[in-house]
Amino acid sequence: MVTFSNGYLVDNLADALKIRSEIDVTPYAGGTDLMVDAKEDAVYLFLNKIPELRRIYSDEQYLHIGAACTYTEIFENSLSPQILKDAIDYLAAPAIRNMGTAGGNICNASPKADTALIFYVADAKLRICNTSGERILPIEDFYVGRGKTVLQKDELLVEILVPKQGLEHYYYKKVGARQALAISRVAFAGIFTTENGIITRCAMAFGSVADTVLRFRDLEALFVGKSIAEAKSIRSQFIANYEQAIVPIRGRVSAEYRKSVCMNLLEDFLTQNGI
Amino acid sequence: MNGQIHFTLNGEKVTSDRHANERLLDVLREDFKLTGVKCGCKEGECGACSVLLNGVLANSCMVAMGSIEGSEVVTIEGYSKTKRFQALSDAYAQTSAVQCGFCIPGMVLACEALLAKNPNPTDAEIRKGISGNLCRCTGYNAIVEAVKIAAREGKGLW
Amino acid sequence: MESISKSIPKRDHFPKISGSAKYVDDLSFEGMLHGKIVRSTVACADIKEILIPDLPEGYFVIDKNDIPGINSVHIVDDDTPVFSDGTVNYVGEPILMVAGKDLKVVNRLMKLIKVVYDEKEPVLDMMKSETIFYQYGYTKGDWETAFREADKIIEEDFQTGYQEHTYMEVQGMIGFYENGKSIVRGSMQCPYYVHTAVKRAMGLESDKVQVIQEEMGGAFGGKEDYPSILGCQVAVAAYKTGKPVKVVFDRSEDIICSPKRHPAKMHYRAAIKNGKITGIDADIVYNCGAYTTLSPVVLQRGLICATGVYNFKNLRVRGKGVKTNTVPNGAFRGFGGPQTFFAIEMFMDHLAKEIGMDSLSLKESMVVKQGDDSATSGKYHFHIPFPEMIEKLDQMSDFRKKREAFRNQTGRYRSGIGLSLVYHGCGFTGSGERDLIKGVVKIVKNTDDTVELLTAGTDMGQGLKTAFAKIASDTLEIPLERIIVQNPDTDRVPNSGPTAASRSLMVVGKLLQRAAEKLKRDWKPGEYQEFVEKYVHPDFMIPWDLSKFQGDPYPDYSWSANAVEVKVDTLTATTEIVGAWGVYDVGTPIDMAIIKGQMQGGFLQAIGYGSMELLDVNDKGVIRNNSFSDYIIPTSMDVPHLETEVVENTYDNGPFGGKGAGELPAVGGAPAYVEAMENALGVNLHHTPFSQEDTMKVLEAFKK
Repeated sequence: MVTFSNGYLVDNLADALKIRSEIDVTPYAGGTDLMVDAKEDAVYLFLNKIPELRRIYSDEQYLHIGAACTYTEIFENSLSPQILKDAIDYLAAPAIRNMGTAGGNICNASPKADTALIFYVADAKLRICNTSGERILPIEDFYVGRGKTVLQKDELLVEILVPKQGLEHYYYKKVGARQALAISRVAFAGIFTTENGIITRCAMAFGSVADTVLRFRDLEALFVGKSIAEAKSIRSQFIANYEQAIVPIRGRVSAEYRKSVCMNLLEDFLTQNGI
Repeated sequence: MNGQIHFTLNGEKVTSDRHANERLLDVLREDFKLTGVKCGCKEGECGACSVLLNGVLANSCMVAMGSIEGSEVVTIEGYSKTKRFQALSDAYAQTSAVQCGFCIPGMVLACEALLAKNPNPTDAEIRKGISGNLCRCTGYNAIVEAVKIAAREGKGLW
Repeated sequence: MESISKSIPKRDHFPKISGSAKYVDDLSFEGMLHGKIVRSTVACADIKEILIPDLPEGYFVIDKNDIPGINSVHIVDDDTPVFSDGTVNYVGEPILMVAGKDLKVVNRLMKLIKVVYDEKEPVLDMMKSETIFYQYGYTKGDWETAFREADKIIEEDFQTGYQEHTYMEVQGMIGFYENGKSIVRGSMQCPYYVHTAVKRAMGLESDKVQVIQEEMGGAFGGKEDYPSILGCQVAVAAYKTGKPVKVVFDRSEDIICSPKRHPAKMHYRAAIKNGKITGIDADIVYNCGAYTTLSPVVLQRGLICATGVYNFKNLRVRGKGVKTNTVPNGAFRGFGGPQTFFAIEMFMDHLAKEIGMDSLSLKESMVVKQGDDSATSGKYHFHIPFPEMIEKLDQMSDFRKKREAFRNQTGRYRSGIGLSLVYHGCGFTGSGERDLIKGVVKIVKNTDDTVELLTAGTDMGQGLKTAFAKIASDTLEIPLERIIVQNPDTDRVPNSGPTAASRSLMVVGKLLQRAAEKLKRDWKPGEYQEFVEKYVHPDFMIPWDLSKFQGDPYPDYSWSANAVEVKVDTLTATTEIVGAWGVYDVGTPIDMAIIKGQMQGGFLQAIGYGSMELLDVNDKGVIRNNSFSDYIIPTSMDVPHLETEVVENTYDNGPFGGKGAGELPAVGGAPAYVEAMENALGVNLHHTPFSQEDTMKVLEAFKK
């Protein structure tokens, strides 16, 4: 461990968690969000040299992405699902992708976070540790609002657990103001799976629309267990539910614009899946 | 308390007494007088402050000093002593790709990072490679053309 | 291609690409202080009180009471204060400066200073302004009869938004005060503008003010007037503190308080008789912001361009520049032209539909030719190469075929293509070159037979040093290496005028050529020689009369034809720019690669102006998107297929046939883009920037 003025550099997770438990520090992974509004008195805990946070590996069920893996590392890793690669491909620009991390993207808790959207729709879980142990929670339970998470002062996000199965059939669209260096104005991700003609999953997540990424599991459930034909017959009701559920906030673009894009993409997602 | 931060800068081992939360950009410009590293926005949006950090492109305004302990930093001042730079510089000269020049040191390093990974990039790959480096003067065509020329005439360098 | 057009490596290539070139923020001087400016946070108020904390040793506050001369920055008029005189008129107006050795301490002190305002209701809407700074108008033919006898009168309103320069290098200056002399150095287009302004604010004689231009990281007009303001501020600060004082903005400060392109609202009427346009009537308002700065001249150019490149026999053009409590607007590449050109180009497209013609055919049938009267009753004295330019553009873009094919589309993606025909008048508007600028250049031959070109012309990236060196080298028939061109220093260079108005190459370049010709005739090897050359007004020009707004405003014009193709995604209302093509006549290109770079860069800026560059001022007069992540300019991926070509149309009064180039490409991009959006969406459009949200509104309206 190296102690700097205004910062701690550690090379293993145990030391990092120990510092978290003892000192008020800001975890620093890639810096690409933190440094935009760099605080003169910030005390950072640098996580970029902790091997446990920089691994990408898979077990039977999950792909484990270390929280301090950069976007570029995730993009270039053959284990990463294509939907995640697509999101990274449209994220900012090379220099930001080289430094920014998935864990930072999640913990910064912006509803515009491009990879968080994918983790939402993919039913990813977060492995969070402190000195006394760990807890694993679905990403939806991690957020309590814009910029606010349940991460405690003594905890660190260690890994993102992405289910390995069922991400092949996806839909992803990011709307930004330009072709690169674009902050999402609306982002939509959908996953659709069927087994023997029966819908097993119809997941949809909406980014940059409200204070957190939006996902409505109860509305999705309406399609689950139904055939395509059955789903088609209740398509308009399904859409109407979302019409009501999605209440965008105004930002750099109007709420109306966001709403229109969300609904258009949702409908296109259904249409492309034969519904 | 060991305050010093050690890193390699343009091939030389150096130390810095700065706070760990300070921007690499400021340290390079103010302490090491490497003023080829330009500041355009301090929010990672323009790429004028690009450096190579452990061989990859990074916006030095977005890098806190504490994170670079033990790292290797190359700025335009170091890179300009290489053959690869010469090839890029000659190509930029051919297409008059340098206008106001403020984005150019960062842009050249973005080109280096691109060519190091992909020595024969297509137009689209070049545009993607430099997409984090804003240039308000050229419309980018001359830069894209220069990268193609450098890739061709500097064959074997990357 | 003329031999001079063959490209050479630019003079500033190596220092810039290797990072050794020094821009103002790269300079440091013994004892130098850093200054930051406390700015108004409200749009309109009297200042009741300013609470200043105790300052540490060596830290200073500089305000209006420290100005030894007059608290006024001379630009065209003198209404801009150096520091607030007790009132503030826009968010961002400078109140005072804090200066000291450590910028961090200065920043902390800035936060402790409290300004107490007595707020007043600001005027933010230009249409509600009751303060008219400038007003001009002119007529030609019998416009009243044309409208009285018309079969039909078409009326439309057009609107253009702000545009921020976003030069990559922000504004910055360093002031010195040594032995009774004020020295100012920094990033600026017009050293003599700064010189004049500093003289007045400091109350000094000419020889006691020295202004030096440093390497400049882009300007585009944004460093034409503003450096005069900042120059006065650093000069006063250096005078008070006795130390060099450097002020370099940060990006958000630069966006908040530096000038922008004037937003405009334009009401157009057309008289139609027997399927022909018989009269045009334009009523134009430019939002000047809180102070006048360069607005009179911007407005004049805007009005001159109001009827575009078309030969209307009967017309009336009226316009005013009004005050609002917003940031003062100033020069931006195109200088008033892009606003009215947008309106007339869109209007022509709409009128074509009314008449039942396609837009290009209508435009071609009315485009001006050599010998025609201009809108201001001057004359187009020289060949206008539109026919060949349009043909070339059609070959490059396949415009005619695509335009037809893109009618009445259905489906998710809709394509569109648009075209604009524009000009940029070369040189200072009206009689400015003759009566105001009176440019002077000097050529010095040293005893080693090197030749130095002394002008006030600044290289902001546009390649002026290279172009000047080529002109001198080709004229003198000596190698380029023996030509010296340095950044101007007013102690050394005569006043050849501002680097603005697409005048430098055509006007100053010509003076250099003449001086070089004299030197060549009188060349004495090994001897020191100098030649001074003064501006001579072209005798063919019909004299400009500002009071009547008549005559030749420019000796000649540069012309361009532009096409843009788009593909709209109707689900997201996002637009892909499939292609952009421009054909330009800038006379003889003095360096082909430089000219292409100018055309491509300017064209991309203009497409940004038409599409994504939206500056958002809220109902308190605050610019909300004051950062690079929020003020969106094109990246390398936004217009991947942008092609430019030049047609060569020599201008005999310019050096080697060259004429104005720099501003031309900034004029025609927005109307070409928005016309393409019209083609894709199948409706008439009236404003720029035409954003994703605007597209969505059109698409949603169709649904209903």
